[in-house]
Amino acid sequence: MPQLALTEAVFYILLSLQKPLHGYGIIQNVGELSNGRVKLAAGTLYGALNSLVEKGWIDALPENPESRKKEYVITKNGQAVLKEELDRLSELVDNGKRILGGN
Amino acid sequence: MRRVIHKLFWVWQLEKEQAWINEMASHGYSLEHAGRLTFEFDETEPDLYVYKTLFLKGWGESVENVKYLKFLEEMGIKVVCYINYPGACWVYTRALKADYPEGIDIYSDIDSQIKGMGVMSGYMIFVMVMTLFAALLNLWIGIGRGFILPLNLICSIVMFVLFTLATIATVKIFVNTGKLKKERKIHE
Repeated sequence: MPQLALTEAVFYILLSLQKPLHGYGIIQNVGELSNGRVKLAAGTLYGALNSLVEKGWIDALPENPESRKKEYVITKNGQAVLKEELDRLSELVDNGKRILGGN
Repeated sequence: MRRVIHKLFWVWQLEKEQAWINEMASHGYSLEHAGRLTFEFDETEPDLYVYKTLFLKGWGESVENVKYLKFLEEMGIKVVCYINYPGACWVYTRALKADYPEGIDIYSDIDSQIKGMGVMSGYMIFVMVMTLFAALLNLWIGIGRGFILPLNLICSIVMFVLFTLATIATVKIFVNTGKLKKERKIHE
């Protein structure tokens, strides 16, 4: 069965976690990546991070005793899912451009 | 200087209560503590904080809620206080308005909004069942045994009123959830 489409929030979270980041860092990074268009809210991010840890797509790193903030990083499984989603999105964009005549 | 205001908000008036607390904050009265009927404000500069009230499943001290509230704190959203109810808690949070100029959004996508409403509707159904049970029990004690007990009769009427209000609130939540689910079919 092909993988279901990721939500925009999950896609950007996985993209942000190429390096370890804590929650606030993820929100900032997603904002920067999307030029301020995607604003992740704290509750949405919390739910998404828990689901992604459960699925094994990201890992929760041991808490930094100095900052006391939990950091997360993408796993190999997460990278594979992200790659698959990127292919799916590319197909959408390519077909859209081909039919609508965009570049 | 601390100012104490006594005011009643029902469990389904979360948004109304939140709007009132934010209105107070905009006039320089920042919420420092809340009880079931009392709100304590300290005088601060106007618009220093923005407030968000949250309805969570389980008590404030539960492991899951402690983890969640700690996460919010990492985002600059601090817990002012919380009130426990049977099986749920009502949490008052705030953040600096400079950090959240447009107010605190807890959910930014439709799925998590639907999930949040699910928690609320689940609790409201619990309230409906409990108030209906209390209303019928008091009605039976009040008039169902061949003599009239006015106190139980009054309790029964009060419980029926609460049941009706809870039902209206639950229907409103279901209607809003339905709209979101419809929207979810075409948008994230």
